Amino acid sequence: MGTDTRERSLFKRYDPQRIGELVGFYGAIILLCLVSFFPIIWIFLTSIKPSSEIVQFPVKYLPSEIIIENYRIALEQAPFARYLFNSFVVASGTAIVCVVLGSMAGYALSRLEFRFKLHVLMIVLVSAMLPFFGRLIPLFNLARETGFLNSYLGLIIPYSAFQLPFAIWIFQAYFKELPDSLEEAGLIDGLSHIGVLFRIILPVSAPAMATTAVIVFIYAWNEFLFALTFMTQDSMKTITVGIALYQGEFTFPWATISAAVFMSIVPLLLLMLFFQRKIVEGLTAGVGKA
Amino acid sequence: MAALLLTPVLTYLFLISYYPIIDTIWTSLHQGSVLPTQEETFVGLENYRSVVSSSSFWNAFIVTMIYTFVSVPIEMVIGLGLALLVNRGFKGKYIAQAAILFPWALPTIINARIWSWLFHGEYGVINDMLIRVGILESSYPFLSNPDIALASMLFVTIWKTSSFVALILLAGLASIPENLYEAARIDGASKVKQFWYVTLPLLKPVILVALIFRTLPAFQAFGLPYGLTGGGPGESTTTLVLWAHQITFTRLEFGEGAAAATIITVFAMVICVVYVATLYEPEVR
Repeated sequence: MGTDTRERSLFKRYDPQRIGELVGFYGAIILLCLVSFFPIIWIFLTSIKPSSEIVQFPVKYLPSEIIIENYRIALEQAPFARYLFNSFVVASGTAIVCVVLGSMAGYALSRLEFRFKLHVLMIVLVSAMLPFFGRLIPLFNLARETGFLNSYLGLIIPYSAFQLPFAIWIFQAYFKELPDSLEEAGLIDGLSHIGVLFRIILPVSAPAMATTAVIVFIYAWNEFLFALTFMTQDSMKTITVGIALYQGEFTFPWATISAAVFMSIVPLLLLMLFFQRKIVEGLTAGVGKA
Repeated sequence: MAALLLTPVLTYLFLISYYPIIDTIWTSLHQGSVLPTQEETFVGLENYRSVVSSSSFWNAFIVTMIYTFVSVPIEMVIGLGLALLVNRGFKGKYIAQAAILFPWALPTIINARIWSWLFHGEYGVINDMLIRVGILESSYPFLSNPDIALASMLFVTIWKTSSFVALILLAGLASIPENLYEAARIDGASKVKQFWYVTLPLLKPVILVALIFRTLPAFQAFGLPYGLTGGGPGESTTTLVLWAHQITFTRLEFGEGAAAATIITVFAMVICVVYVATLYEPEVR
């Protein structure tokens, strides 16, 4: 059947069945794009509409005039600029901790020989399966007793622990593929293994670092359960908590919320634009090889 | 040397990941841990008894089970469909991949907020579209009708997470060697047969990964009900974690909250073990 169809499509390039298949295929792809992007397109449209056109039914799809007033309100009257800044600090901090600790453990697990290696790997992987709520109450108490509530570190420390298994996994997979000659040269030059890791291995590991940092950043930017529980002061809220808890004075402020939502997504859209391949590789690392 | 590199990481994981689980169990067996000054007294399984005798707990349990075991299979089917659709070379593949990745990257709680606007009972665009195409006659309260709110919530989570399943399965599809399909074609296997006898069996380990990666978060759903419906109307969309969070941090029943947390942890682990036991085949290839 295989050769048969190939011949037919060669002879009849404009075969109606083939055209039908193509139309169906691209139709499905376009439908996929529409369904995926519609919600955020709608939020963007809402955010640039005058308030009167937002609360209108039947819905007015396109705004009669484009306004940026809602963004001004979100940034100046509502504290969304502060929330965005907080999220940025927490997400960046988490990404840095995960890259440093993840590369150290990843190096040990992939390139050094030692006893109990399998046990260590199991400890790391099982910790990724533990439910977050099962850890929330003691960590909340711990943070309260040590004064880490309403501080950036109070979120960076648990987030990093949650994402470390992923970071370690990415690094050990990457390091495994590096040639032995790299570290041998360093060891001959009298560097310790830690020296080799930081002076020789890490400088050539930009891809693994980017993958880890980007995905961990997105995770920390998106987290809600711990952020809601740990950041009780308004000035320390992250963007997810800020958007979830924001209430207007009289009516529900869909215009301001839409502007805030759109701004909260911009960093994610930028990361996707620049690192799409890295993100996909990272999310699927190990899948298919196992 | 390995110890030097691993000690910080292992200490960290024990302190932030393992110790809290144990501490939660300890808290669940004691009373009066809200105020740090107050002495904690051992109460045995008292907290568990009051959790299990609460009808709200069982309601949340059922909501969570429906949420998890309806959404995950549908996500698997849609995810597999998407993966099969995109698994070929074509113009615009990059955009299709972005469309698949985007719902994954959206924060759950913000996604919940977005859909509560799309589903809005008065000004929602979904109502408007359904009326325009003639499916609805007037606006329908998707989120404030207790009979339909959970279905709306399922719709939102399926929208968001099917694409993650598709990404995982795509990686699995890419790892299936082309010559297996060639062999099947030479043997005269149709596309459908190739799917059943080549694709699906070889995809099984990857499906297991996707199942675990999706079931665990679904079982712990918190942000979506919090932002979409607040658990309501009534308690019709209150999941286990949302319920446990409320009794812990709103009603300040830390003992009961810890008991609920322990139950959630045990259930999550049981689900993992069941999946692995039924689907894992050590080294078939």
